[in-house]
Amino acid sequence: MRVATAHAYETSLNALTKRQSELSEAQLQLTTGRRVNRASDDPAAAAQAERALAKSSRADASQRAAESSRNMMSLTESALGDAGELLQQIREALVASGNATYSDAERKNQADKIEGLRDQLLAVANRSDGAAGYLFGGQGSSTPPFVDAVGGVQFRGVSGEISAAGEDRLPLSADGRSVWLAARSGNGVFETRAVTSTGTAVVDAGQVTQPGALTGSSYSIQFSINAGVTTYSVLRDGNPTALTDVAYAPGKAIEIDGMSVTIKGAPAAGDEFQMVPSTSDLSVFDLMDRAVATLKTPFRTGAQIAQSNVADLRDIDQVLGQLQSARAMAGDALNRIDGVSSRLDTIKLQASVERSNAEDLDMVHAIAEFQNQQTGYDAALKSYSMVQRMSLFQYLNV
Amino acid sequence: MGTGALMSLGTRAMFANYAALTTVGNNIANANTPGYSRQTVEFATAGSQGSGSGFFGKGVDIATVSRAHNEFLTREVAYTGSLAAADSARASQLSQLENIFDTGEAGIGYAAGQFLNAFVDVAAKPQDSSARQVALSRADELATRFRAAGQQIDALQNGVVQALNTSAKQVTDLAQKVAAVNEKIVNSVGSGHQPNDLLDQRDQLIREISQHVQVTTIAADDGSMNLFIGGGQRLVLGNQAAAMVTVPDPYDATRLQLALKDGGGTVTLPEGLVTGGSMAGLLKFQNDDLVDARSLLGQIAASVAGSVNEQQALGLDLRQPAGSGAAIFDVGKPKVLPNNNNAKAGGVDVASMLDVNGVRISTVGLTVIDPTELEASEYELKADPGGSGNFQLTRLSDGLARTVVAGDVVDGFRIDVAAPAPAPGDRFLLQTVSGAARDIKRVLDDPRGIAAASPVTATVDTDNTGTASVASIRAVSTTLDPNLRAELSFTSANGDYDWALFDAGNNVVANGSATWQAGTPIALNGFEMTLAGVPASGDRFTIDKTAFPASNNGNARALVELRDAALVGQRSSGGVVTQAGVTVTDAYANALADIGVRVQSSKSSAQMSASAAADAQAANAASTGVNLDEEAARLIQFQQSYQAAAKMLQVAQSVFDTLLQMAGR
Repeated sequence: MRVATAHAYETSLNALTKRQSELSEAQLQLTTGRRVNRASDDPAAAAQAERALAKSSRADASQRAAESSRNMMSLTESALGDAGELLQQIREALVASGNATYSDAERKNQADKIEGLRDQLLAVANRSDGAAGYLFGGQGSSTPPFVDAVGGVQFRGVSGEISAAGEDRLPLSADGRSVWLAARSGNGVFETRAVTSTGTAVVDAGQVTQPGALTGSSYSIQFSINAGVTTYSVLRDGNPTALTDVAYAPGKAIEIDGMSVTIKGAPAAGDEFQMVPSTSDLSVFDLMDRAVATLKTPFRTGAQIAQSNVADLRDIDQVLGQLQSARAMAGDALNRIDGVSSRLDTIKLQASVERSNAEDLDMVHAIAEFQNQQTGYDAALKSYSMVQRMSLFQYLNV
Repeated sequence: MGTGALMSLGTRAMFANYAALTTVGNNIANANTPGYSRQTVEFATAGSQGSGSGFFGKGVDIATVSRAHNEFLTREVAYTGSLAAADSARASQLSQLENIFDTGEAGIGYAAGQFLNAFVDVAAKPQDSSARQVALSRADELATRFRAAGQQIDALQNGVVQALNTSAKQVTDLAQKVAAVNEKIVNSVGSGHQPNDLLDQRDQLIREISQHVQVTTIAADDGSMNLFIGGGQRLVLGNQAAAMVTVPDPYDATRLQLALKDGGGTVTLPEGLVTGGSMAGLLKFQNDDLVDARSLLGQIAASVAGSVNEQQALGLDLRQPAGSGAAIFDVGKPKVLPNNNNAKAGGVDVASMLDVNGVRISTVGLTVIDPTELEASEYELKADPGGSGNFQLTRLSDGLARTVVAGDVVDGFRIDVAAPAPAPGDRFLLQTVSGAARDIKRVLDDPRGIAAASPVTATVDTDNTGTASVASIRAVSTTLDPNLRAELSFTSANGDYDWALFDAGNNVVANGSATWQAGTPIALNGFEMTLAGVPASGDRFTIDKTAFPASNNGNARALVELRDAALVGQRSSGGVVTQAGVTVTDAYANALADIGVRVQSSKSSAQMSASAAADAQAANAASTGVNLDEEAARLIQFQQSYQAAAKMLQVAQSVFDTLLQMAGR
């Protein structure tokens, strides 16, 4: 076959150009470290890398959301810790004021102390997150959420909590109403009250002995004295029960429908005590307002003092329990946030591995390939320079 | 036999060999001339003279100078060259198009993701104006990237227009040259010899035309060569050449079509007839690839912007008083382009009217109803030629044809027809999304305008004993009346509940009972509430107007969830989804891969056709090209023959001298 000289030169020049462009492509891959620099380098891998990138930037956003939630929850947790300490001090003051030897003036001193602590507590409940939000703002509230209104502190907001975007529903606020204003009254199941107490009898907070036997009804314990013998009858929702005209023994538990209460002291005829189901409306502030008011009331009988002290201590324990459970929930949320955050780290890592697998270069392979091409280019150059020297004219001497 | 015979033999031989030497010289001189075919001198014996002792040869004659030529290979070179030019033109345009679809952090998919991610921060701090500002900046970034891509596509279209115009001029020019060469060849045929250089020149001209557009060659008896495009449209006939011109597309004047223009008028060449040459590649790029790229981008832009705006409208912003959110994006409107052959009255289209600004517009209009159902396609709408008032709607991406009437909703848009209605047979090109990306803008400037709050808030009764909490509550319809309070109370452990809607005066507006299914939202009054956990009998939920929009983030969370929503390319039939859409990230990744595959396959077909063209060239060059070594050998060959002939003269001279000397004695 005849080789046309001009065509041969052109072909070998084209081959050189092609080698050169391959070499420069390989060099581009080596310098960027990426195998896929354009979608056409590997369309499927480019699409995969695109999705991995979306996953990674989404993990970044979720991480920021988790961070805000963590911020809010640690502030909430420490606020609840402060509230717990204040309530302990109040409790100490209440225990002290139950001292039977205290005078009215001494009780008033304790009341003043409790009043000061109450104001500090209100400040804790209205604590801000430092960015125009409130820790206990619920699903949105007036600013600040707790208002010292006539008739007691009110929550001016929507109860519930706001959560951050994403399926984890990480909390961004605490429900102020349920933390501060909605503890269970009484002992959590039922509440004992002295309706009429003219004697020296004092009823305790009571306890649940058989949870399965609870009925949810209201009970009334009515005392009467016949011929010097004190008896009592228990009415369930106004109807007589098996406990009718039972002889009263001070300090002996009265048990009915899984509940047990103890009445001490000597009741007068016509005295009435009640056990009603607990409700979720025990407010920290109402409790203190009531305690302060009673402590400031002079000329009370010992039984009245003892009865109100029992109620105050019972309620403050309930309130403390409520705050502690809220604090535990905040701690739990913090734990959950840690979990979410480390999961997000893993997702981000996975995404970057995925992206790198899709579009990054296998360096060893690429360097080998590059050297291969270099050798090829070198050979092409050498053969070109050798072939172009070969011509019959070199040998003719015409 | 005279003594002059040897002299005459020698002279002829010297003359013939000298001629051969000049031809070899010409070959050497033209070794690098494009299109040059190797020439050879054809020798023939000059006959003989009879004598008593037989026939004596009279020496050598030059029959003619011929060129090495192979009809088939010449045609093959032109043909494969035109295919290679078509593929390489499209491949190089496509690789420019690919640059618009950036990958990674520079891409549109990333910007869209970041925009929606910004609402995570808005949800975390709904009252924080800096988080809102970031969301708005990201919206702007996204719109800018869409716009830039749309403008780059327009720039590519302009480039195609320039290239087509230049090519058309060159083809016209080359065709005129072919006609001129044809004339010269016809004139020289009478000489009885082939005009080798003119033939080479014509072959080369045809090869050059083939680079622009593929032509069919038919040789005429008189030696001229006639050129046709698309099998029948005459470009060159004898010494007459038509002009190749570009004419605007009947729908879209920014696109071009090819046409041939001669004394008889202008004939449009449909794209299908232009099969090879760079113009074919450019036309395919213009009519398929650019249209698709524009539609793909526009579909994503229209769907994302539409869905974000819809969700935004369902929420409450931070203004005083809070109102429903204003649109964040404004996308390019759908366009209706009438065919310029539509029926006219008084110089204007029958189916046209003046809009409020006094601009003449088509009476056919488009309204986007559901942005998630928009398709990445253009449509052709044709009024029934029978005059029934129906329309034939063809989706150009897959050719699906449907019969529609005015007011029908198809693929997420509605076709509105105002009076005067189109005449039977009128055609329109509907560009539902093509301009969406190029003209997208962020129109919300006030960070407080972001509707982060849900218009209603659900509260759980404090006395509830079940584990149910509100997982999400959001408005799903603009018909939601936030002034109505909804109360739900569960009446059994199986999820049965009673509901009632109360107005501001606490009067029951509507009520009823239903059963809750885990995982299924409770839909009432235009909102949907999802519960997590299980409600117990007696549990109560209240849904009331959002009292404090500044700290509510319900709608911001709904905006975040658009990340996972199937926003793009959903198909439905009669309200039932028949094909789920894809998320915005997936939609962009798919568009990217689509263009990537096109580039890849166009590059590989360009490589294949280039190597076919190279093979044809090599075969043709092997048969017609000049090999310098061969010419060197022939140079020696004819030089020696020349020397021998000269020797012959010397011998003749000396024979003559001998004779003279003998006679002189």
